[in-house]
Amino acid sequence: MRLRMLACLFAALLCAPALATAQTKSMFSNLANPSIGMNALFSGQFARNLNQPYGLQFDEAEISLISVVDPYWTLVSNFVFLPDHTVDPEEVWARSTNIPAIQLKLGKIRGTFGKHGLLHTHAFPFIQAPVIMANSIGEEGFKDAGLEAAWLTPLPWFAELTGGVYQGIGVDDDHPLDFGSSRHDNVPFLGHFKNQFDLNNATTLELGQSFMQGRGSDADLHNAFGADLTVRNVPLKNANRRGWVLMGEYLQKGSRVGGAYHQEQHGGYASFQYRLSQVWWMGIRGEQARDCTTDFLFDSTVPGKVTRGSVNIAWMPSEFSFVRLEYSRANADDGHGAKPTDDRIMAQLSYTIGYHPAHAY
Amino acid sequence: MKSLIRSLWVSILGLLASVPSFADLKVATSLSDLASVARLVGGKHVSAQSLCPGYADPHFVPAKPSLMKAIQHADVFVSTGLELDAGWLPLVLPGSRNPNIQQGAKGFVDASDGITVLEKPTGTVSRAEGDIHPLGNPHYYADPKNLEIVASHLADVFSRRDPANAAEYAANAKAFQERMESSLAKWEKAMAPYKGASIVTYHPNFVYFADRFGLKLFGTVEPKPGIPPSPHYVNELAESMKKAGVKVVVYQPYYNADPNEQVAKRAGATAVEVATEAGGLPGTDDVFAKFDVLVSSVAGALSGKSGGAR
Repeated sequence: MRLRMLACLFAALLCAPALATAQTKSMFSNLANPSIGMNALFSGQFARNLNQPYGLQFDEAEISLISVVDPYWTLVSNFVFLPDHTVDPEEVWARSTNIPAIQLKLGKIRGTFGKHGLLHTHAFPFIQAPVIMANSIGEEGFKDAGLEAAWLTPLPWFAELTGGVYQGIGVDDDHPLDFGSSRHDNVPFLGHFKNQFDLNNATTLELGQSFMQGRGSDADLHNAFGADLTVRNVPLKNANRRGWVLMGEYLQKGSRVGGAYHQEQHGGYASFQYRLSQVWWMGIRGEQARDCTTDFLFDSTVPGKVTRGSVNIAWMPSEFSFVRLEYSRANADDGHGAKPTDDRIMAQLSYTIGYHPAHAY
Repeated sequence: MKSLIRSLWVSILGLLASVPSFADLKVATSLSDLASVARLVGGKHVSAQSLCPGYADPHFVPAKPSLMKAIQHADVFVSTGLELDAGWLPLVLPGSRNPNIQQGAKGFVDASDGITVLEKPTGTVSRAEGDIHPLGNPHYYADPKNLEIVASHLADVFSRRDPANAAEYAANAKAFQERMESSLAKWEKAMAPYKGASIVTYHPNFVYFADRFGLKLFGTVEPKPGIPPSPHYVNELAESMKKAGVKVVVYQPYYNADPNEQVAKRAGATAVEVATEAGGLPGTDDVFAKFDVLVSSVAGALSGKSGGAR
């Protein structure tokens, strides 16, 4: 009997550390950790008339953290590490999950303006963003702290009306729009209306209109207008092997001085992407931008008319990586006699690890 | 003018009267099999639609805004679970702006709850193995027994959401299980002569079917999940099938027929297009019809008497 008691005591002593370890582990559970993902983007550019060395360069690494906060909110964040050793908290926003018909987004957001401006760099259909983007709302769209409410209207098709207000922000490399007035009533706002129709099981038509306005550091009102059209075909039986996307967008930036509207940079693009197989895509794009600056104009501060055509081919061996090759030819006219042309060949490599949320349709 | 207004009112009232009466529960699912089970369990009280038709690959559903609209007023959303719909559902569900069906809400159902999951990774999960599912193989709906579990689960959910018709949901689920049991006996009898036979599939989505009916999975036409085969791999697989005497290749309608037929031709085997999701092929409108056609196609191909459904 005594021997059995001793054996039990000995077994309990042996188990004690294990129990303690188990308890310690449960205190620091990682089960509610956010989903983590990273995308790394590299590119090479070969352009004779640019004062740049040829070779592969690191473009950016984007780390994303996404998690449900509580029954009311989901938090989405993207931190971008750039080659100049800076980190850009590109997007950090909370999304409501329990308001019927309305989705609230608040934090540092990518304003719901246009079509191309909603895309992350690695999801651009072409390596170069359209020239008009960097000259109107920003190469990667309009990014600012603010609040957006997107209402899914009761119309029988998908019709979404979005309204947003943002922090006033001045002109910098990422923000060509001047919303930099320090007046208390400077609350830049946005309106966006998106309609999507199923033309048949495979083909959809999407129409969008966007408007944004704020007061600039010159006390004038500055605004941007956009209209986009996308026809997309994804045959459901071959959804990961076939399909095409026809997309066009027009953007215009302007200001209101002394009550009169003054048109500034404006332009647009039309592109066609075709999926050749599960792993191959090709695309072609034509674009024109007026009163715009670009890197190959001799004086990049003097605006001119830029016309560019691009073709590319992409190899996507899986959903998590791709290699793209792109050629573009562009002409510019600054209106003062300078008419440079530009030919460039580019290559881009993208790699994604961890969790990566699906891109919007 | 008065008569015009009167006729306008009459037209509006007529239109309103012609609107069909709505079911008590509006159910949406991410897989056609789940919609089929929901209809059979819900009976006249449930209307169910799948966002992914049976002929589409449930991994790659385009997250169209119209899908968000389609589930804006759904009372229940049934997800396949095990991350089969992870490529598109995280966009569609929040986009619906329907708080009742968000993950964690009362109207959200993970249909894989209670299923014995096969091929759960035990070691490190790495995409070097292709587009694998870290929670295990999600194609459990290829085993009739698993749909009995789904039916019972849905009856519970429908009863909680619509207590007035709870007794009917329970009775329908029981009837579903009884019908499935008697059908399963029939399908097992049809497959019995081929127990131990080997087949090749395009993707690892026959694991549960093979487990139920005692088939051996010799290999897949995809070298790794989600990775298309190279000509070298097609040759290699065909050679090894020839040596092992494997005579059947099966694939779903949403996969490219060419590599399956090439492998079969080079191996002296038969390639059979089959539906593992209801509605994938003609005559497979509900889950019972799906298994009828699936079993007869696979058994027919293994017997060497039939080329299957194609």
